[in-house]
Amino acid sequence: MENLNLHDAGPPGPPPPGQHPPQNLGMPPPVPQLPPQMFTTAAQLLDLTDKKLMVALRDGRKLIGVLRSWDQFGNLVLQDTIERLFVQNLYADIERGLFLVRGENVSLLGEIDLDKDDYVPPPFQQADVEKVFALRKAENAMNKKLDKSKQKKLAAFGFEGEHHGEAIL
Amino acid sequence: MASPEGPGAVTSSVNEPLDLVRLSLNEVVFVKLRGDRELKGRLHAYDSHCNLVLGEVEETIYMVDEEEEGGNGEVRTMKKQSEMLFVRGDSVVLISPQA
Amino acid sequence: MLFFSFFKTLVNHEVTVELKNDISVRGTLKSVDQYLNIKLDDISVVEEMKYPHLSSVKNVFIRGSVVRYVHLPANAVDTPLLEDATRREASQAASKAKQSSS
Repeated sequence: MENLNLHDAGPPGPPPPGQHPPQNLGMPPPVPQLPPQMFTTAAQLLDLTDKKLMVALRDGRKLIGVLRSWDQFGNLVLQDTIERLFVQNLYADIERGLFLVRGENVSLLGEIDLDKDDYVPPPFQQADVEKVFALRKAENAMNKKLDKSKQKKLAAFGFEGEHHGEAIL
Repeated sequence: MASPEGPGAVTSSVNEPLDLVRLSLNEVVFVKLRGDRELKGRLHAYDSHCNLVLGEVEETIYMVDEEEEGGNGEVRTMKKQSEMLFVRGDSVVLISPQA
Repeated sequence: MLFFSFFKTLVNHEVTVELKNDISVRGTLKSVDQYLNIKLDDISVVEEMKYPHLSSVKNVFIRGSVVRYVHLPANAVDTPLLEDATRREASQAASKAKQSSS
């Protein structure tokens, strides 16, 4: 896995970029249009290694840290991690340090554009951690209550909750 | 399991649940999903996980405007259109052929 | 494998990925893997103000399991070919099931 490189050509050589070879959908033998090692979890995470990432977890938490290690399950090691809380038009950062995040809890991760580093769009303003934390907690509790009442009404239409208590944001 | 049918019979009869879905290829199907959603669209692909590709899709989302949020607490629906949609199988509750 | 192969044919097309937590991310499909994890480049977020944490992010890796839909460009999908491939995959799955139960 460690030796994989996006720039290694897979056999046979990749077609020039921008060309779309004919589709082949599971037909034997599959004609590789791009090097097959491009299409692995490892290749997808390889070029994010040592980059500053924003990791959104399934429970709604946002972590910002440097990706130092990962595996095929999407387990991640993040260094110098902060957790960023958003509520209303406020945000706050909490220093968290070194994290190993189990892959299944990850929703999405994105490379932070260093030109826009730590850019938080207006009207969001940095505020006191305690204040934002308390507001966040209250909002989560409110959302949970509303969600419960919504699910009750929608049960009449044969629906059941999708999130099962997970926060929406 | 010795089957009385020839190997060709596998592709034309309903031996297992997903064979019913196969018969709906290029037909309009109704799909009920988790997350208070329903879809109607032309089925172009599926697999054993119930991953789907639908064309000319109409999505119906059921929602509640809570009284606490200034609504009347009633269930309402919102419709969305999509020309081509991949649906992840783990959200699928049921698939029904539409006559 | 059907959908893995299918998504590989859509690389470099513009798609919109809708997640189970209702976030929609539009971008150029750059990569997909066997779990249908998806990588998008040059992203834009529908309702950006609702999701400020994504405003300084340029590309994303989305875990397959959190995806609800992927909205695709219809002209990039050869539907007869896709239906044939689906039938082929279904008959392969059926013969596999038969082998293992006999």
